[in-house]
Amino acid sequence: MAKVLIAETSYLVRKGLVSLLEQTDGVTELKAAGHPDTIMQTLKEFSPDIILLNSAIQMPVSHDKLLSLLHDKARFIYIINTPLPQDSPANHISVFDTKNKLTEKLSLHLKQYESTEEKEETEELTPREKLILKHVALGYTNKEIATKLFISTHTVISHRKNITRKLDIKTVSGLTVYSLINGIIKMEDIQ
Amino acid sequence: MHISPNTKMSDLVQSDFELLAVLQRLKIPFGFKEKSIQTICREEGIDLNFFLNLARWYHERDFFPGETLMNHPVKWLVKYLRSTHSCYIEYHIPRIEEEIIRMESLDRSGGHNMQLMLKFFREYISEFTAHIQLEEEKIFPYILSLEENFEKETPAPEFLKTARGYTIKDFLDEHSDIEEKLVDLRNILLKYLAPPSDNCLFTNVLIEIFRLGNDLNDHTILEENVLIPQVIKMEKDFHNKFPR
Ligand SMILES: [Fe+2]
Ligand SMILES: [Fe+2]
Repeated sequence: MAKVLIAETSYLVRKGLVSLLEQTDGVTELKAAGHPDTIMQTLKEFSPDIILLNSAIQMPVSHDKLLSLLHDKARFIYIINTPLPQDSPANHISVFDTKNKLTEKLSLHLKQYESTEEKEETEELTPREKLILKHVALGYTNKEIATKLFISTHTVISHRKNITRKLDIKTVSGLTVYSLINGIIKMEDIQ
Repeated sequence: MHISPNTKMSDLVQSDFELLAVLQRLKIPFGFKEKSIQTICREEGIDLNFFLNLARWYHERDFFPGETLMNHPVKWLVKYLRSTHSCYIEYHIPRIEEEIIRMESLDRSGGHNMQLMLKFFREYISEFTAHIQLEEEKIFPYILSLEENFEKETPAPEFLKTARGYTIKDFLDEHSDIEEKLVDLRNILLKYLAPPSDNCLFTNVLIEIFRLGNDLNDHTILEENVLIPQVIKMEKDFHNKFPR
C-alpha cells in the first residue's frame, strides 16, 4: 500500500489524477499540491511513497536534494505536458494519455511498490538495527554510535533511516519509548 | 459547496462543521439566525475577503492560501494565529493530557506503558509551550511593530535598531516541527500498544491526537507559507523605505 503525492500545477490535471487514483487499488493516502512551496512542505511532512511530479514544475531545490528528503523506496513518476514518444520510460505519463493507458501505468507502479514493500513488512528490525536503536534510545549521537560500533557515521544514518521507516517513529524520544515498550532498553538504563 | 458572501453562516457550518474551528478563532459568536457571511463579518469587524479566503482554504483544500491571504494586513493573521495558540494551550493539549492520565489510571496491565506515554506527552507539552512562547513573546511582537513602523513617517529609533539587526528568516530556519513528536505518539499508540481496559477512551485519545495533528499542520502552513513570506516582503519594503 502506498502514499501518493500528486505535484501538478494544472488544476484540471490535478483533479483528474486525484479522481483516477481514488479508484485505483493500493493507494492508502492521497495528497495533491500545486505550488512548489506546498509541494516541498508536503514532501517533508507526508513522506509519500510515490510522487507524481509534473516535469515542468520548477522546484526550489535540486533533484538530488528532493531524493534525499524521501525514503529509499520512494519513487517518482513524471507527468509530461506533451504526448509521449513510442519508447518513453515506464515512469513517464502524459496529459495526453488515455484513461486506460494511465490506469495501466499507475497500477503497475503501485504493484511494483507493493511487492518491494511486502517483503519489508514481514521483516522486523535486523539485529544490527536493533543494536543501533538501542544506542539511539540510550541517548548517543550518530557520531558516538559510529565510534562505538566501528562503523561510519554515514552507515549509522542509513540504519536510522531504515529504523524510522520500519517503525514509523522519527524522534529520539519516540524511539526511546518504543525501545522501552519492547524491552530493547530498560527503565534503569536511562535513569 | 461554494462559499460566497451571501451564503448563510449556519449553512456553511452545516455543510462542513470543521469550519467551526475557524469561526471560533476569529471569535465569531454563535446565534447566526438567518444572517449571511457578509453580514456577520461586517458586524464582527472581520474583513470579508479574509474570512472567505480562510474558509475556502479550510473547506476546499485545493488552492495554496499564500497568494490570496498575503494581501491582507499581517496583524489579522497574527491575531488568528494567536487565537489558535490559546486554543491549543488552553483546551486541546490539557484535554489530551487528562485523557492519557485517565488511561493510565485505568491501566491494569501491570506494565509501565501508559506511564511512559504520559511522560512522553509531558515532554511534548514543554517543547510545544516553548515553541508557542517564542512566537507569542518575540516573533509576533516583532512582526506587529514592523507593520506598525512601516506605516509611519519615521520609524521609532529602537525599532529601527532592531530591524537592522534582525530578519524573520532567522526564525524560519529554526522554526521547529511541532508535529513530529505528536505523530510519533500517535504511531506508538496505534501500532505498538494494546489498548488498556477502556477502549472508548483509547480510541478517543487517538482521534483527538489525529485532529490536533491535522490542525497543527494547517497552522504551520499559515505560519511558514503565508505569514513569513509576507513578513520577508515587508522587511524588504521597510528597508527600501528607510535606507541606512
Ligand atoms: Fe504557532
Ligand atoms: Fe510555529
